[in-house]
Amino acid sequence: MKAPATTHKLTAGGLRAPLAVIAVYLVAAAGVWLGWWGTDWSGIQASGRQPPSPEHWLGTNLLGQDIFSRLLAGTATAFEVGLLVSVPATLLGALVGAFAGYFPQRWPDAVLMWLTGTLDAIPFYLFVIALSYAMRDHPAAMQLAMIMTFWTLTARIVRAETLRIRQLGFVAAARVSGLGSWQIIRRHVVPHTVHILLVQAAILFVAAIKAEVLLSFLGLGLQDGVSWGIMLAEASQEILAGHYGNFVAASAALLLLVLAINRMTDELQRSADPRSRGSADPAARHEATRA
Amino acid sequence: MPPARLPWLLALTLLLAACQQSEPEPLKVYRHAIDGIPASLDPAHADDVYAATLVTNLYDTLYRYKYLARPYELTPSLADGFPEVSEDGLTYRIRLRDDARFADDEAFPGGVGRPVRATDVVYSLKRHFLPDTRSRGDWLWRDRIVGLDEGTRLSDPDAPVEGLQVEDPLTVKIRLRRPYPQFTHTLAMALSAIVAREAVEHYGRSFGVNPVGSGPFVLARFDESRAVLEPNEHFRRGVIDLDAEGYDPARHDRFGLARIDGLTFPLLDRLEVHFIPEPTTRWTSFTASSGVDVVMVPPELSERVLAERDPIRLRPEIASRYRSWHGPEAGFVFHGFNMDNPEIGHHPDPGRAARNRALRCALRDAFDWQARNRAFYHGLGQIFPGAIPPILPAYDPDADADSISHSPRRARARLAEAGWQTDNLPRLVYGLESSVHQRQMFEQFRAWAQAIGFPASRLEARAYASFGEYARALGTRQVDLFLLGWTLAYPDAQYSLQLFYGPNAAPGANSFNYANPTFDQLFEQASSLPAGPRRTRLYRQLNRIVIEDCVIIGSLARTRLFLWKPHVLMLPDRDMVGGHFLRFVDIADQGG
Repeated sequence: MKAPATTHKLTAGGLRAPLAVIAVYLVAAAGVWLGWWGTDWSGIQASGRQPPSPEHWLGTNLLGQDIFSRLLAGTATAFEVGLLVSVPATLLGALVGAFAGYFPQRWPDAVLMWLTGTLDAIPFYLFVIALSYAMRDHPAAMQLAMIMTFWTLTARIVRAETLRIRQLGFVAAARVSGLGSWQIIRRHVVPHTVHILLVQAAILFVAAIKAEVLLSFLGLGLQDGVSWGIMLAEASQEILAGHYGNFVAASAALLLLVLAINRMTDELQRSADPRSRGSADPAARHEATRA
Repeated sequence: MPPARLPWLLALTLLLAACQQSEPEPLKVYRHAIDGIPASLDPAHADDVYAATLVTNLYDTLYRYKYLARPYELTPSLADGFPEVSEDGLTYRIRLRDDARFADDEAFPGGVGRPVRATDVVYSLKRHFLPDTRSRGDWLWRDRIVGLDEGTRLSDPDAPVEGLQVEDPLTVKIRLRRPYPQFTHTLAMALSAIVAREAVEHYGRSFGVNPVGSGPFVLARFDESRAVLEPNEHFRRGVIDLDAEGYDPARHDRFGLARIDGLTFPLLDRLEVHFIPEPTTRWTSFTASSGVDVVMVPPELSERVLAERDPIRLRPEIASRYRSWHGPEAGFVFHGFNMDNPEIGHHPDPGRAARNRALRCALRDAFDWQARNRAFYHGLGQIFPGAIPPILPAYDPDADADSISHSPRRARARLAEAGWQTDNLPRLVYGLESSVHQRQMFEQFRAWAQAIGFPASRLEARAYASFGEYARALGTRQVDLFLLGWTLAYPDAQYSLQLFYGPNAAPGANSFNYANPTFDQLFEQASSLPAGPRRTRLYRQLNRIVIEDCVIIGSLARTRLFLWKPHVLMLPDRDMVGGHFLRFVDIADQGG
């Protein structure tokens, strides 16, 4: 049976600007991954604290490293962390949420929701910092710590959506046609939460970047690389002395990316929200509100 | 406001004012700042400047350095005079003051502190050799005091030690295995501070946060951000004799110290020691009216503070607002290799050992001390080869400077000659404290290493949350490359050269884990000699050995640049006088 359509028209005009900004960042990060630019971010290329110049567009830091190269490498770091965290955390949240929502009020639901509630009860940054610190010898400690905490909101939202979906006719039809629970979840439930997962992935992407910046700023994040957080930590030692290169570069990059992704997320959310689509189905509005 | 409420408001204001009057603020409060957090206040663990700053104020040592005399001079503190030393230099007889008492504490019967006795001195030294103490200072006396030989572990504090005898309640006799001219200096170190057995046994594992000493202050509060100390009412050391402390009007008049002459210790009503690792945070706190009262100028701000570097001259707006002092530190900073790691250090195969030496020398050649000095030490540090800093009489101004010259070409040649290539270079762990500066220093080091062909991927940074954790990592040989500052506890090259003495290997002071029998033999020989040309020659020879072996990348003696608020009357010291100077700090009337 064909499932009811949940896709809808996105407002192309509203998405164009944030997507353009994100594309610029993506190109910057891809260039670093491909070794086209930003590869010599750790090299000492000039004397310390040079002002912007044709050779060093944003000047150099205390050690004489090129701030622009570090900005580009930091962009790649941000995207790496964002993708490495948001994709697994979203998938994990989707699976947990769908499984819990498909068996409401039964032991899988109770156990998974207890776990979700327990993790949610711990202050987020404190938990990530504690986990990062406890696993600090692991190269991906920070990313693992974030994945372990970021999936819970997605799980709650998907669970709520699954509670709605499992009542729909096409799921009942799949059930009577002999499909098992796991197949129904995989083939019929999860695909119908894709609009939610896209929004959640985008939210988690930016949340992961912000968390990485904070942890690196505190010295608990990236150990063997450069990130906007490390640049901001360096800036914290320089601003009083009137050196703003690191601060302006890293904070502007972070601000612009967060604004662009937030705007994109808003657009995605709006287009996924039945109320904004003018749906006449009061039940759908109710479910959306619960979600 | 309705007029009827006015009387009530006035009454409330008066009530609040009365409450405030009943609990007046202490009159003399000094807020000191240090750049690290002490891991413990147990004297047996006070081998770093942070712990020592507090320990020397909570406990007392038999001797201390005079407040103002330079070169540094010892003076009795808990001891009643200097030790009587036998002709052969092997027996020390030390008499204690009869008015010293431990601070009141629940560890004592009735909560009242008792007098300090010779048994406490013996216990405090023995305690370093009890396994439970996990002492970080036993190396100072191991194999020096008769009965405390290499490998000695006392099972019981009552176990007799031949070289530690109580002659009478106020006299202790110490017998050495061989002459140790620096012995009295070790009794001025925080590690040698005198503890009460009752307190150690009462608090057990938590003794490190429940100090009970006979120092000028007692602990009122201790957490991650600061320690608050209040005067110890049992502390009696007579009046301050400034002349005896080395006061020289020509040098010290501008600090306003003359007024403390004849006063009694300590002069403060409250001493706060704030732990602020980040330099700019310390600066921000210093410039705030309610912040700390002293700061060592962070390198980022040297342009704002200094009008000239040679000679040092402050900007007028700084000079008019603050008191200041600058001078060379009694110590130095250096990088070191963990020689215990066969990938870069000692190796049973002579061929591999030679290749490892070539690698170490290459990394040393890659190091640019001038750039390090400019970036992190105002450009004011003194760079010198090896481990004998210019402040010491044994310093050799004519020593070969090759080991401190930046030469990437020579480094690459060494690597090529020894057969080191990108694919066979070892993976090394670089340890650092988790701070912006230390990370930047790592990045700087890594860039220099990369410039000679050492891949960045082979140099792993491992950050530790605090100095205490970092020191523990060094003590357990977890890092292959490290950065350390070494503050001299006494003005003798023996103190810095012991960093390479084999029996002092980690967890002792020899974080290099350097093991060279020739070095050890010469070191032992030098340590027994009195000051003189022969000893100086030996010290210099020892320095050349560690330079030749490329064990150390160094060194640099920093120039300390202190600023403090004008109402604080003091001459700060972070080196040999260390925390002892805090008992002399006074606060002038805010108007004066």
